[in-house]
Amino acid sequence: MQALLSYDQSPPLSAPLRFFLTAPLFLVLAGALGVLEGEALFASRWTPAALAATHLVTAGFMLQIMVGALIQILPVLAGANLARPRLIAGIVHPGLALGALALALGFLQSAPGWLHAAGVLLGGSLTVFIGAAGLAIFRVPSTSPSIRGLKLSVIGLAVTVASGLFMLLALAGGWAVPLMPLADLHAAWGLGGWAGILLAAVAYVVVPMFQLTPGYPAKPAWRFPLLLMAALLLWSLAWAVSAEALQRLAQAALAVGGLLFVGQTMKLQAARRRARPDSTFRYWQGALYASLLALLMLLASAVHPPLAGVPAWMGVFGVLILLAGLSAFIIGMLYKIVPFLLWLHLQPLARPGKPVPPMNKLLADKDGLGQWRLYLAALLLAVAAAIRPDWLAVPAGLCLMATAGWLWWNLAAGTRNYRRARLTAVSA
Amino acid sequence: MTIREFMSDDHRHCDDLFALAEQAAADGSLTRARSSFGNFQMAMLRHFLGEEQTLFPAFEERTGMRMGPTQVMRMEHEQMRELMVAAVDALAQDDAESFLGQLETLLIMMQQHNMKEENVLYPMCDQQLAAEQDSLIERLQGDLQTA
Repeated sequence: MQALLSYDQSPPLSAPLRFFLTAPLFLVLAGALGVLEGEALFASRWTPAALAATHLVTAGFMLQIMVGALIQILPVLAGANLARPRLIAGIVHPGLALGALALALGFLQSAPGWLHAAGVLLGGSLTVFIGAAGLAIFRVPSTSPSIRGLKLSVIGLAVTVASGLFMLLALAGGWAVPLMPLADLHAAWGLGGWAGILLAAVAYVVVPMFQLTPGYPAKPAWRFPLLLMAALLLWSLAWAVSAEALQRLAQAALAVGGLLFVGQTMKLQAARRRARPDSTFRYWQGALYASLLALLMLLASAVHPPLAGVPAWMGVFGVLILLAGLSAFIIGMLYKIVPFLLWLHLQPLARPGKPVPPMNKLLADKDGLGQWRLYLAALLLAVAAAIRPDWLAVPAGLCLMATAGWLWWNLAAGTRNYRRARLTAVSA
Repeated sequence: MTIREFMSDDHRHCDDLFALAEQAAADGSLTRARSSFGNFQMAMLRHFLGEEQTLFPAFEERTGMRMGPTQVMRMEHEQMRELMVAAVDALAQDDAESFLGQLETLLIMMQQHNMKEENVLYPMCDQQLAAEQDSLIERLQGDLQTA
């Protein structure tokens, strides 16, 4: 009832937008790291450059956008109103942005001071976010697979943050604890439990909605988040008792679960009734194929672990799952969410006979399509760079910087068009 | 059948008509786009009418909430009516690009609106109006058939 009474209270535009406008800059920084530290970046997952780049993409880019988007869509998706969205965004946004920077610097320079600062900033801001989002979403009954998915993803984020903070303290304090198995677990919770389940929860709603496809079949949709959660709990158990076979089983289950979701989404997209492939569709199509490959790699290395030691295996996997998969899903979403939000917030200024500009005049889809093509080039170069970093890390890094900069430019231009339309409407 | 099921089915029906109109314009057939969009617009207006004249008043009567969610839904209906008028204007000027742009905005507006109705308002209606559910659906059926 509470939610129903106030569900028109859409958060102020700045609450989600501030996250969207800073996030692409972290992708630019990740590209810059490829240019400056290319060979080290692809030499191993554990080099300072690789850790820094990974977290620029995950904590700097992906997490920022997912948090900003959740602040916006929780009320629409679940009827769950975040209390005081402006305040929450005002606390969480700077904490996340500065925290992700400090984290990257801490890894790069192996500097305990920066790592501590990252721990305080990320830990503090994410605790506020998890608290606020949890409070809003757990009050709502799970009447749809999407709502259940949102709840589980918030739990996934909490485990990711807790395990990440523990490792930061261990790293900064030089504790003698084996971090690699825990880092795998942290990555599994972050990518599977948080990003993966959240992606599914959102996809259940937006794929049929934006593409006019049939809906996700109900039973698998209800079960998919639970399957991922079960696999992650199994993985955690395996970590706690150091049972390698159990860990491989959990990894395989996670991969199979992901593959089922990707397969289902591809099937739905093939039945779409919309006429034109727009930038959102292109991004999702690319992301689905990349995720398919990445999940097959994850499955293969669960069945046959020595594969993970093959040179370039982890580099290719990382590029596929992080940049070509999850980040691409996210960018595809941005190209729908941002112009719609800009349009929506202009609506109150519309007067009879003086409509506000439509979405495509605020952010033209052809700009998104152009940026996608360059993104695709950056992805291909980055996969190749994982194999031959000495030749290709620099062009891959430059290309990623360019396409991420272009993404930022598109979003900023949309915002400028919004401001101009606002001024015109107010002064008219 | 619940109010939620009945009205959600009509949302899907409108989606189908929308897809036909968009497809026609993307194929470059503005004549076909005009007639398909006309069908879509008609179905939408009937749906709005059913809600504004039958469902919402019943909900408001029962709950006493006149300025609450139904008010927001009415406002969004108004925005969609305007978007449809803008789309018709674009078609009248043979401007396929602008027509498709209006459709994009309309689609998202429509889908997020439907989502709120299907996930929040209709379930509330089913709960609050359980006693008169059958007669309401019958009246809504009438609204959707004759404008």
